Amino acid sequence: MASVADFAQAQAPVYHQERPAKSGLVDWLTTVDHKKIGILYGSAGLFWLLIGGLEALLFRLQLAKPDQDLFIGTQYNGLVTMHATTMVFLAVMPMIAGFSNYFVPLMIGARDVAFPRLNAFSWYTFLFGSLVINASVVFAHFPAGGWTGYAPLSTRAYGNDGMDFWWAGLVLLAISSMVAGVNFVVTILNMRAPGMTLMRVPVLAWMMLVIQFLLAFSFPPVAVGLIFLAFDRTFGSVFYEAAMGGDPHLWQHLFWLFGHPEVYVLILPSMGIVSEVLPVFARRPLFGQHAVIFSGVFIGFVGFGVWGHHMFTAGMGPIADAVFAATTAVIAIPTGVKIFNWLGTLWGGKLTFPVPMLFAISFIPMFTIGGLSGVMHANAPLDLQQHDSYFVVAHFHYVLVGGALQGLFSGIYFYFPKMTGKMMSEGLGKAHFWLFLIGMNLTFWPMHDLGNRGMPRRIYTYPADAGWNFDNLLGTAGVFFMAAGTLLMVYNIFNSMKNGKDSGRDPWDANTLEWMTDSPPPAHNFDFTPVVFSERPLFDHKHSEDLAIPVPHEAEQIHMPSYSWKPLVVASGALLVIIGLLLFHVAPMLWLISVAGALTVVVGIYQWVTEPV
Amino acid sequence: MSAELATAAGHDASHVDHGDHGHLSAENNFLGLPNIKLAMWAFLGSECMFFGSLIGTYFFYHGKSLAGKLPTEVFSITITSISTFLLLMSSMTMALAVDATRLKRLSSARAYILATAALGATFVGFQVYEFSEFVHEGLTLSTSLFGSTFFVMTGFHGAHVTVGVIWLTMLSIMISNGKLNKERSPITVESAGLYWHFVDIVWIVIFTFVYLLEFIK
Amino acid sequence: MSYRLLTLSALRNRLARQPRGAQQPNLAQHPAGKAALSLLKVVASAGLPLLLLWLAGCSNEPAPRDTHSPVSDNGEISSFFYSLLLYLDAAILAIVVAVWAYALVKFKKQAGDDTLPEQSHGNMKLEVIWTAIPTLIVVAITVPMLVGVFQMSKRHDPNQPVVEVDVTGKQWWWEFDYKSGSAAGLHTANELHLPVGTAVTLHMTSADVIHAWWVPRLGGKRDANPGRTYPMSFTAKTPGIYDGQCAELCGSSHALMGTKLIVHPLAGELEVDYKGQKVKLETYETWVREQQAPAKPPVAELEKGLKLFKERTCPSCHLIQGLEGTDIAARSATSGPNLTHVGSRMGIAANTLLNNPENLAKWISKPSAVKPGSKMPDGLVTPEDAKAIAAFLSSLK
Ligand code: HEA
Ligand code: HEA
Ligand code: HEC
Ligand code: CUA
Ligand SMILES: [Cu+2]
Repeated sequence: MASVADFAQAQAPVYHQERPAKSGLVDWLTTVDHKKIGILYGSAGLFWLLIGGLEALLFRLQLAKPDQDLFIGTQYNGLVTMHATTMVFLAVMPMIAGFSNYFVPLMIGARDVAFPRLNAFSWYTFLFGSLVINASVVFAHFPAGGWTGYAPLSTRAYGNDGMDFWWAGLVLLAISSMVAGVNFVVTILNMRAPGMTLMRVPVLAWMMLVIQFLLAFSFPPVAVGLIFLAFDRTFGSVFYEAAMGGDPHLWQHLFWLFGHPEVYVLILPSMGIVSEVLPVFARRPLFGQHAVIFSGVFIGFVGFGVWGHHMFTAGMGPIADAVFAATTAVIAIPTGVKIFNWLGTLWGGKLTFPVPMLFAISFIPMFTIGGLSGVMHANAPLDLQQHDSYFVVAHFHYVLVGGALQGLFSGIYFYFPKMTGKMMSEGLGKAHFWLFLIGMNLTFWPMHDLGNRGMPRRIYTYPADAGWNFDNLLGTAGVFFMAAGTLLMVYNIFNSMKNGKDSGRDPWDANTLEWMTDSPPPAHNFDFTPVVFSERPLFDHKHSEDLAIPVPHEAEQIHMPSYSWKPLVVASGALLVIIGLLLFHVAPMLWLISVAGALTVVVGIYQWVTEPV
Repeated sequence: MSAELATAAGHDASHVDHGDHGHLSAENNFLGLPNIKLAMWAFLGSECMFFGSLIGTYFFYHGKSLAGKLPTEVFSITITSISTFLLLMSSMTMALAVDATRLKRLSSARAYILATAALGATFVGFQVYEFSEFVHEGLTLSTSLFGSTFFVMTGFHGAHVTVGVIWLTMLSIMISNGKLNKERSPITVESAGLYWHFVDIVWIVIFTFVYLLEFIK
Repeated sequence: MSYRLLTLSALRNRLARQPRGAQQPNLAQHPAGKAALSLLKVVASAGLPLLLLWLAGCSNEPAPRDTHSPVSDNGEISSFFYSLLLYLDAAILAIVVAVWAYALVKFKKQAGDDTLPEQSHGNMKLEVIWTAIPTLIVVAITVPMLVGVFQMSKRHDPNQPVVEVDVTGKQWWWEFDYKSGSAAGLHTANELHLPVGTAVTLHMTSADVIHAWWVPRLGGKRDANPGRTYPMSFTAKTPGIYDGQCAELCGSSHALMGTKLIVHPLAGELEVDYKGQKVKLETYETWVREQQAPAKPPVAELEKGLKLFKERTCPSCHLIQGLEGTDIAARSATSGPNLTHVGSRMGIAANTLLNNPENLAKWISKPSAVKPGSKMPDGLVTPEDAKAIAAFLSSLK
């Protein structure tokens, strides 16, 4: 039997760039390498995860006991809004972007993404967006309208100066996501290695493909909603003004037409990671790979037709309620298909349980709990009770924390060796796993009970005699477990980068292309052209009858794109445009900042398209 | 298997794709679309959702304004018909430009591109005129729901035309100073063309449903 | 745990109860609904202990706002679906977890065993089965759900006696304008009084941002949208006092936008238990008559309070019926609750404080200390004056 080590014997080809990369800081600022951009996204995501978690920790302290006044009124609302905005847009989404940047090209055997500079541009608009939203706390107050930013509470008539930063930042994030969506759709469809038919594309890459479509098609509605909000706040339009006939449902439709596909953006990549991790540690192929892929595609489609289930209490009328409730229930079917196929993968395998596997297996019951409470919400008559109660908070934390976040944790432990060439500590990892699992259930399970007991969400204080004291105390206690676990992981990452054991190319005895190349991979990803004959190309190489399947080496030079300042320049221009609009209501003259920004964008793009790559 | 290997081995991995960067295989081009065109289609899909939301909002609020002018009181079908006609013509010149690049006639392509840009700019000029007329007649962004939805929807369309004009101007400059050669010009100009036609179609939709329909009933 | 079990048994009792009067039985009482439930219970009996084990962690605190001890027809429908789905979910979770746990134990790799397991790629028959069964389940829960949706949105028969109330959410309190029957023309705040066993339609709207009126024991909430009115129809079935509060984020004091529902008996006095206290409930008609009376003129020692009340611009926002210079017609978005009978309310400032002279004085001298961002301004009166005003307001029973 051949091993991956055989590939190491190959003579590394030289690669060639029009302009060789600079070193150090400049290199990180100007890189167009998908792996470096992936690391940037991933690190930013981890950083914001800590901040978002810290915000949760702070407001959980306020909720620990009844009638406290640590953070009251808008302070509390600001913390909740920023917690959710941070977790969804600045922690989980960039971590997903990190994985898709780093691993999608490797998994499909490409040298880079389709448009590397556009990729760098996405990264910068994301970075600027995250900074703009958080700048609110320096220049004004935290936005306090909830992560759903319902109008008219978010309009200027109700103050909330932080909402200016909120819409401005989200517009930048929307641009970033739409651009990245287009880029990755092309990458995954067009840049596959020879022999990699669509059905041989790894499930993680498939799920990334689905979410890129979701991003490209679901962000525009909320972008339009945000534009209306910005115009109302800044230029005196009346989209959300009830006195002028404006309808509060408008924002809700535009937001949820984005918001619901968005929750599948958050979960599908983690489902992809689980689908990669389970087969490796069960030592057999993913059960029903095609069913898992198609169900993901189906979820993506149906996800666009269910947004009204967030509005059962809003007064859409019984017909709309009935339609949205029925379409929502349908999503349980493809999701169930995934769950059952994962069980099928475990069944009859030979299971080992290193840390990535632990997170992947605990994903299954935790996500199922969250999904099943989602099916309760889908029942419109029942949701009239549960909507905006802690039952919903329980639902979405089981799917977001038990599902999305656990999946990403699994991915971190699984892929860290590939990204660094070092193994992470198993002991610390297991401690992280158990602390997190216990903490999560301690915090979120009692929230079902709180919802049943009639506790509304987004309240900063509650009376002592409502019967909510004990559950809330548990909820606050649990955060400390989760925080301890997460901090252990962060320590583990830094420590293992220095002191971890060498991992080699293929530490887990895995199946897919990314494990065929060095850890960390060279700039050009592969010293050879990977050729694919099944959905487990590396497995084939290791286990085929006629020893190793020959792999053609690159004799010639490989052309790699050069570093570029232009993405940063154009993104800065976009930032200036937004800042000008954001400040317009302070002093109309400041719109000149936007003009300067627009000029920067135009000049930057001209140089971009004319510079040699 | 050997056939598959042969194509793979013989494949030129340093091939530079239009737009940005090379990839390992040309066989996997989805639906036979090269990167830049596939990207363009995906982008236009996203734009459909964008304009869909804007136009949808216009209709969601149609007839719900509590104050100010009605559409029929401010619209001037004659003027808008002229500008619509100009925009339609620009689609034709755009198509001619794409054709010229296919035939590798770059200087005539440049002429058509500039004509397209000029027609687009004229359209935007008409729109500026129309907006200022409306404001004079007492319809502004803050007058009514009609004012808000109308100005933002058509304004964003106008902004798209403006972006197109800048894009086309850039292309003609690039042809002049040789940054756009005969090899790359067909696909580059064609992508701009896709965008241009899309923006045009959006206007047809707006003109038909927002302007014309108002007068039919 | 005992509490949760109790709720489930309460639910069984409710299902056994006969439908009220001549009304159509709702879904929760339909034989098919009951049959589905019993079937599920059998299947779920494996999963339920698991769920209950989880819930055992939860307390034995009383739950005055329990969503599953409904006191209206709407609440019963919601609660019916909760039990239906709880058993269904428990059954599904039990199956998933059982297979999962068995596989984890059974198929653990043995030390030293380096052979590969069978490399199966899937099984078409299984795929079909585990797509088809959930599809059937989804259909089975969707059909009754649709029935429930239309049942709950059904308007009342106009020939029946109906109580109609306009409910307006305001930052951060509730205004109730009675529109029909003997109570027509009555304006009150925060505490909604209704007769038992009578059809009620609330017309929800808002004066500023979106609010949602929610009394968990009554049943589901409805949003109060500015610029829109949406009806919510139900019949309250059990007299009593029920707490609730705004459920839609509406700004800094969203947490303090409480409300109470008082369901009065139709005849005779009734003693009900409210959070361990015995409270007497008069009939609805008696309450209406009391509220319609103008405010009692204050006795001599309280006149200072009335004088201060007039001086300190309070009447610009508050109505006291019988007091000149206050006018309900002049209400605006910033004006405050009707104070004609403020002394008869159980709580003040939308149930944030118990209603007594000390709390009234505390509220009046600095509302923002009680409710962040309160629309009633601070600094209108000194603490001394506040005491006098509070004493006067307390007398307005
Ligand atoms: C990762 C994110 C994520 C995911 C995956 C989901 C998945 C689902 N969600 Fe959730 N949801 C959120 C995140 C998510 N949700 C968030 C953030 C909110 C609140 C937003 C806010 O208001 O702030 C929300 C709110 C929300 C609501 C609105 C509640 C309210 O505010 O009133 C509803 C209502 O229908 C709903 C339903 C569902 C359903 C039916 C699914 C389904 O996809 C679940 C499907 C999965 C299963 C069912 C389990 C596995 C299946 C089987 C084992 C097969 C057999 C099962 C059956 C036959 C039933 N969700
Ligand atoms: C992916 C999304 C995501 C994630 C991961 C989380 C994670 C957590 N969430 Fe949250 N949450 C949301 C999305 C998410 N949440 C959304 C969308 C809402 C709705 C908001 C709204 O109503 O508008 C919400 C609302 C919400 C509420 C309801 C608030 C309310 O309605 O009033 C609560 C209450 O307990 C809560 C708690 C938590 C907790 C304890 C965690 C924990 O899992 C967090 C665990 C902690 C960490 C991972 C980091 C710990 C590290 C430290 C504390 C150390 C920091 C140190 C340094 C910085 C050096 N969240
Ligand atoms: C600018 C308008 C305004 C003025 C002036 C004003 N109030 Fe108020 N008042 C309100 C509003 C609004 C509320 C409801 C606040 C809430 O509950 O959030 C309120 C609530 C109250 C309540 C509680 C009523 C209840 O049923 O909960 C009392 C008592 C009260 N005000 C007394 C006074 C007195 C006494 C004065 C004069 C010293 C006064 N108010 C002046 C606006 C005003
Ligand atoms: Cu009103 Cu929350
Ligand atoms: Cu949803």
